[in-house]
Amino acid sequence: MIRKSFFLSALLLALVAMTAWQSAKASGVAAAGEEEELDPIHHSVDGNYLDFSPIGKVELPRIFIISSAEGGLSVDFFLTSTAAVERGGYKASWDATHEGGEDAAAHGDDGAETIAEPLGGYYEAHLAPPGGGHVLVDMSITRHLLFAWIGMLIVWLLFTRVAKMYKAGIGRETAPRGLLQNMLETLILVVRDDIARPAIGAKTDRYLPFLLTAFFFILTCNLLGLVPFGATATSNLMVTAVLATFTFVITQVGGTKDYWMHILWPPGVPTFVKPILIPVEILGIFTKPFALAIRLFANMTAGHLVILSLIGLIFSFTNLFGSGAGYGVAPVSVAFALFIYLLELLVSFIQAYVFTMLSALFIGMAVEEHDHGHHAELSPTH
Amino acid sequence: MVLAANLLAPNAGLIFWIAITFGILLILLRRFAWGPITSALTDRESSIQDSLDEAKNALAEAKAVQADNTRARREAEADAQRIMREARDAAEKLRSEEVENTRAQLRQLQEQAQADIEREKQNALNMLREEVAHLAVDAAGKILRDTLDAERQKKIVGDMLGDLSRN
Repeated sequence: MIRKSFFLSALLLALVAMTAWQSAKASGVAAAGEEEELDPIHHSVDGNYLDFSPIGKVELPRIFIISSAEGGLSVDFFLTSTAAVERGGYKASWDATHEGGEDAAAHGDDGAETIAEPLGGYYEAHLAPPGGGHVLVDMSITRHLLFAWIGMLIVWLLFTRVAKMYKAGIGRETAPRGLLQNMLETLILVVRDDIARPAIGAKTDRYLPFLLTAFFFILTCNLLGLVPFGATATSNLMVTAVLATFTFVITQVGGTKDYWMHILWPPGVPTFVKPILIPVEILGIFTKPFALAIRLFANMTAGHLVILSLIGLIFSFTNLFGSGAGYGVAPVSVAFALFIYLLELLVSFIQAYVFTMLSALFIGMAVEEHDHGHHAELSPTH
Repeated sequence: MVLAANLLAPNAGLIFWIAITFGILLILLRRFAWGPITSALTDRESSIQDSLDEAKNALAEAKAVQADNTRARREAEADAQRIMREARDAAEKLRSEEVENTRAQLRQLQEQAQADIEREKQNALNMLREEVAHLAVDAAGKILRDTLDAERQKKIVGDMLGDLSRN
């Protein structure tokens, strides 16, 4: 992955490293095809392989729940996509619009334009099981899933280790010791004292584990996206949707009678307004987690797209005006990309904070025991 | 649009995996990490708060003790001054009494001496009177023995009285 071309150990070092990486990538792209463009979307979306370009790509396991032609369900497992095609007899087809080759377009099962000719690796193809069945659910271990798991593993290892220190008495009877414990404790206290407690109040302890898990999982995933060869699990709408769904479920389960009263029979408004307000309130239940999911997804995707587009300028200039223009625009592109990279570092923390804070706010509004004197001012649609 | 389709493509498998694993992570972390960590933090906070409260109480106590001490010292000083003053007064009183006594005694002795002298003087006068009377009687006897005429008697008495006054 181009955007993960350097580590933030020092700004200067990063700049030099990134420039070096760009030239390496440029030569790699040039080797792959003369007219090849860098496609930012293609590098941002999920995939069934790990991209270590220009070194190579590592295929990821495929798991399919298939519905055979006779109507039976079965599960297929292959270590790689290639194995699925070569040993499992799966049929591969490619998106016609991807990487050119529109001449050979044909209509696939799903109605989209697909072609049967191999245009890339099998890991980029749509796979269909042999014998006329179809894939019911693709349970494959994708790149984003793998990086989400890596993120979970990191969070798990970090916090069980710190928890062990607290259990041993360090930080309980004494001051916290060492960089790790101090750093993580600071973040934990931010979540507890600046996010959870002001929003939720007395019931904070019940919802704190979710908020902490969400915060550190999102933060870790965001930062993993900035590591060379990494991928951002939180730039996948499925992942953010699941996280938002957790917030949604917790909010509704924890909702007090007051909360439901506010939605189903909003107090403090004339009765003739209620038919308008009630649908709005009900819609509000769903728009809040929806906004959560979209916000995180869009923020994490946008930064990467901007970086990739800036890098892509180099190739566009090369294609349009020759390699001289490409080399000329490279330093500018790299400098801007570096700036966006730093911005993304900031955004990683901000978005983890925002998701957690809004989750806390929604939960807080739902579980709050209302002071009945102030009904008119409190509406869940805030 | 392919662009949007790629970015927004639904993936039920991914949803399933993330939901399951995030749920497991949540449960495990809650049990093995957040529980111990937050309880440790709460413990530490309450112990720090307790320590602060204790320190505040101890300070207040120390201040009270100090105030007590100061008050006690002042009282002791006042006592000492009072005692010294009393002692001085007593000594002064004692001394003046002593002087007064001595004076009284002296006066008494003087008066006694004067009285003695007066008495002795009276005694001496009395003894003199007796002696004079005795002499008079002796003289009278002599007169009688010599049976003298009146002139002679008168002359003898007159001589005697002249002797007496010469004495």
